[in-house]
Amino acid sequence: MENLSDMRKNSLVSGGSSAFNTYMGTGIVNDNINSRAELDELLVRVGRYKDKSAFASLFSYFAPRIKSFLLRLGTDMSTAEELAQEAMIMVWRRAETFDPAQAGASTWIFTIARNKRIDRLRKDGRPLPDMLDPAMMPDQPETGLEAVNRTQEEDKLRVAMKKLPEEQAKMIFAAYYEEKSHREISEESGLPLGTVKSRIRLALSRLRANLDEHER
Amino acid sequence: MNEQNITEKTKKDEVIGALLLDYAAGALESPLEILVETHISLNAASAKQLRMLMQLGGILLEECEPVSLSEGALDAVMAEIARGEVDEQTAKQDNVVAFTPSHEAKDVTVAHLPRPLADYIPDLSCDKSWRKISKGLSQCRIQFDGTDVEANIYRIAPGTSIPVHSHEGTEVTLVLSGGFTDETGAFGPGDIAIQETGATHKPVADDDGECIVFAINEGNIRLASPIGRVLSYLVN
Repeated sequence: MENLSDMRKNSLVSGGSSAFNTYMGTGIVNDNINSRAELDELLVRVGRYKDKSAFASLFSYFAPRIKSFLLRLGTDMSTAEELAQEAMIMVWRRAETFDPAQAGASTWIFTIARNKRIDRLRKDGRPLPDMLDPAMMPDQPETGLEAVNRTQEEDKLRVAMKKLPEEQAKMIFAAYYEEKSHREISEESGLPLGTVKSRIRLALSRLRANLDEHER
Repeated sequence: MNEQNITEKTKKDEVIGALLLDYAAGALESPLEILVETHISLNAASAKQLRMLMQLGGILLEECEPVSLSEGALDAVMAEIARGEVDEQTAKQDNVVAFTPSHEAKDVTVAHLPRPLADYIPDLSCDKSWRKISKGLSQCRIQFDGTDVEANIYRIAPGTSIPVHSHEGTEVTLVLSGGFTDETGAFGPGDIAIQETGATHKPVADDDGECIVFAINEGNIRLASPIGRVLSYLVN
């Protein structure tokens, strides 16, 4: 439980700018992974060749992050461990359907982790839609250039994320990781609700603007 | 576009933005989740926006400070994978619900609702539970397992004026076919309208065809983090 409380302490809402800096920009350099393209390549190898060593590399990069992500959402330690393992099993089983032209490995695996968590929380057992299905993605790939475009799109989003004023970025983090209602964010941060809302609004519209720019 | 229209449009965009964010973060109750998915199947702009939000989720996952798994976790996973492969042929396929972007809204009828809503609701054309509410307005209650959220499909005859009414709980409405207009603006296929508790409105269905909507009402039930979160956008 120590880890969890540490993480809560570092909560982006209550934490200072150092917490923010910790969260952006450290994602790739460690774990012997040199680039996001390498993550995509590993996942492709798992899908095509059932490559166990590629899977082991993916596991060492993603499983601890999925666990961390789930802990941030308030999942208890043993459930987070279990779900991280289940998500990775799903990664293996579904890897054949991974198409780097449609989504990066991180987006694809985020989707699996998100669904695993919802499955666990939900009592009704509603089957989740297959968001990994290519049909889910509005733009169908036509050429080999699509993967390049997709990568550029994600890189732009990363840049846009880093360019966001810190107070806006914090709100976005909180909305995802901590599943906080805007009211909760407001109470914890001591900011008026209107400020919280306008920051999320601004952040989203900036990111959207980035997306539109990409189209031109 | 006058100033009021611009405000209404901004407000609509914000509601959609909040719903999509909550969807991406996995924070919606299942009927509302189905509503959002169906909205996405009818609206390319939202599909695109959701794509961005899922990418954002991927970026945030990368940025998570790693927390080590228990010792032997990889071995356990590999063992489970090996076990699964033996009976993979007999195992049932993971649930696959494909989205169909740019769904042809004109083909929507109560017998053919857009997916993925149609996966949860059977052909309603002969359903016994249709109930006439008022002239030109019928309601069919939809029960979703495991939740007490009230969901309904409404059919509104062309040109019908629905008497002024207020809503007890927050209501989120997705237009499936046709359209209607109320004090806040015009809504067409794929559009989402939100009525807050206590708000009154007087919708009028477009006169060029039947209007079919899917509406979710939180009623008096206190939900974990469903519509309330979206609503917090509107309050103030």
